[in-house]
Amino acid sequence: MTRQAMYVKMITSSLLRRRSRMAVALLAVAVGATILSGLVTIYYDIPRQMGQEFRSYGANLIFIAPPGGDTSGEGVSEAAAAEALSYIPDSAVVGVAPYRYKSAKINEQPFMAAGTDLEGARKASPYWFVAGEWPQDDGFVLIGQEVADTVRLLPGSSFTLTGTDDGGESFSKDLQVSGVVQTGGSEEAFIFLSLSDFDAAIGGNGNYDVVECSISAPQAELEGIAAQISENVSGLTPRLVKRVTQSEGTVLTKLQALVFLVTAVVLVLTMICVATTMMAVVTERRKEIGLKKALGAPDRSIMQEFLGEGLFLGCVGGICGVFLGFAFAQIIGINVFSRSVSFQPLLIPLTIAASALITVLACAVPVRRAVEVDPAIVLRGE
Amino acid sequence: MFWRLIRGALFRQKGKMLMIAFTIALGASLATAMLNVMLDVGDKVNQELKTYGANIQVIPKEASLLGDLYGLGEDSGAAERYLRESELGSLKTIFWAFNIVDFAPYLNVRAQLLDESPDAAKTGGEEIRLVGAWFAKHLDLPTGESVDTGMRNMKSWWEVDGEWLTDADEDAAMAGSLLAERAGLAAGDRIRVGAQGGTRELTITGIFNAGSDEDERLYVPLKTAQAMAGRAGVVSSVEVSALTTPDNELSRRAAQNPKSLSTKEWETWYCTAYVSAICYQIEEALGDSVAKPIRQVAESEGAILEKTQLLMLLITILSLAGSALGISNLVTAGVMERSREIGLLKALGANNAPVSWLVLTEVLLTGAVGGAAGYFAGLGFAQIIGHTVFGSAISIKPMVIPLVGLLVLAVILAGSIPSIRLLLSLRPAEVLHGR
Repeated sequence: MTRQAMYVKMITSSLLRRRSRMAVALLAVAVGATILSGLVTIYYDIPRQMGQEFRSYGANLIFIAPPGGDTSGEGVSEAAAAEALSYIPDSAVVGVAPYRYKSAKINEQPFMAAGTDLEGARKASPYWFVAGEWPQDDGFVLIGQEVADTVRLLPGSSFTLTGTDDGGESFSKDLQVSGVVQTGGSEEAFIFLSLSDFDAAIGGNGNYDVVECSISAPQAELEGIAAQISENVSGLTPRLVKRVTQSEGTVLTKLQALVFLVTAVVLVLTMICVATTMMAVVTERRKEIGLKKALGAPDRSIMQEFLGEGLFLGCVGGICGVFLGFAFAQIIGINVFSRSVSFQPLLIPLTIAASALITVLACAVPVRRAVEVDPAIVLRGE
Repeated sequence: MFWRLIRGALFRQKGKMLMIAFTIALGASLATAMLNVMLDVGDKVNQELKTYGANIQVIPKEASLLGDLYGLGEDSGAAERYLRESELGSLKTIFWAFNIVDFAPYLNVRAQLLDESPDAAKTGGEEIRLVGAWFAKHLDLPTGESVDTGMRNMKSWWEVDGEWLTDADEDAAMAGSLLAERAGLAAGDRIRVGAQGGTRELTITGIFNAGSDEDERLYVPLKTAQAMAGRAGVVSSVEVSALTTPDNELSRRAAQNPKSLSTKEWETWYCTAYVSAICYQIEEALGDSVAKPIRQVAESEGAILEKTQLLMLLITILSLAGSALGISNLVTAGVMERSREIGLLKALGANNAPVSWLVLTEVLLTGAVGGAAGYFAGLGFAQIIGHTVFGSAISIKPMVIPLVGLLVLAVILAGSIPSIRLLLSLRPAEVLHGR
């Protein structure tokens, strides 16, 4: 039997013979590795996941007409808006809502009519509270709470919108209220029409007054996108909604720091826990070490054997931990954010290496101490 | 005799017991830190979310938001209505006063930039929106408390080039970046502004960039605005930043109509910091006012708070489970080692019950020492997290003590009882023989 074969046999039989104890050690290592890979996955995914949540604050980038310059092309043309949007990665866009405004009247009371892509507005401004339904068809509109109070309209009631269109001709259009919007802000004094209704009734040159975009990206990236757009696209000015972007940056940084620190504390404590468990498991075997020494085994080979066992435990525990940890992160992702987390391939070697290192170190300390003691004393049980 | 045995065991096996105590301490400190942080994270994140500014707007009854919109409505001759400045202190006397972090009153005045400014190059005659506000106002309340509040805290995202206004400096103003660009203003300039109530010469202390339509306005101290508008002691709106509880079905129903609730529901609603309940109480405190939640802020806060709390809860559960397994592992290992001693005791005629008690008492004593040490270490960890992340201390919740105690107890029992039973089932002769 070669030396290697003997070595492997000793390790495997030692693991197999002491099944229950090894299971305990393995469990400890696996739990440690699970916590490591789970928390690190969450830590890396927090900005993405939380960033999505922060989109409930609504638009963070708006396009408006360039200041001054030629007054002929008022507003943002459809082509310029499309060109600007092409600079934003598709996956980051949460919602885009172009708006066209024109004052109009209901029962001779002045209000502001806004033509928009209602589906886009719903995505870009998820905080709108709509009593009733979002409009599904042309001819149905959303009205602000204040309009509803002033003119006494309810979801389901009809009204006539009148006013003068861009050409100076007066128009009137029959519309039906499908829902009443509450926001606590100026939107409550608007009448929201679909773009096709708006065009049919009021007309206009097809340009938008403002395009609101809700983009899921960190502040720095947003600034980059805005800079790129203002450089390459003429006919509109991108502006960041400072209140939203800046505050999101502040809060997200804090949250990430929180998870980072918590992760660090949990990891350190877990690793110490794993190490003490391993130490306890190895310390128990002082007798075995004594016996081997008495039989003439050199210190080196005893060390090697124990470290081999530790390495094996660390690796197996680490591999279990990688998958359990990812499963755990996935559970958090789905329960908390209703989205799956992304897998970090780099975590596989990292987790395995970390758990192997910790187990080996934790074994080394008690083995060394046991090896140094005279075998006779150990065997006598003192 | 019992105690002598225990004392003997504890001191003879100092190293081993120290290790168990140490692991328990680690687990307990982890549990303490995580529980404390988790229970406080809601408040802390809520504070952080205040950077989004006000979540409640108070306006006079029957006033319209229309004035806010592109200047529309200001010409419509709607009767102008105001809130009384003298009543604002009572915002801090409502039931949820403690939850009101900041508030700032505003008075909108239509004014003109006049031509005959000292620096003739400035454009003049332009219609501008002048807003009077509190910046960092010190208020002494009738209750004997004092408050510092104003928009400076509420507009944390404003970039100010120059200095923020102070409330005492009545001849100063702050201009929005768009207005400043159009009129060619810079910090230090002097301008003349005229309005209904008179003309005034103002020094610009700073240019701010707010990234919204506020950039078109000129801000002055409230007193100045009142003088220029010729209306003393009034404000046109108040923005309130309050810590709130996320909305649920009850609060939504209450927001629609508080009278639809039963007495009991009403009490629950009134005594919970729902945004609708705070609005209701503000309306009670300020005469003829309407308080509206700004949904963009109020709604989003709720969502983010809930997510953060849930996230921390799950992380806490993970770390608790991890440390519980670790401790119970070690306790099992510690008890199993005692097989010879237990065998000897049994061989000497001890019954199962006293032997079990002996081992359990030992482990529990070790656990108590470890748990106590761990609790205080955990408080330290929690404070480190609080200070590094939020820059403020995590409040220590007494309810964590029984929780950690129960947890440690449960984990120790779970770790030792099965192994004790196993040991008792062994035959002393075999154990002593060393098999």
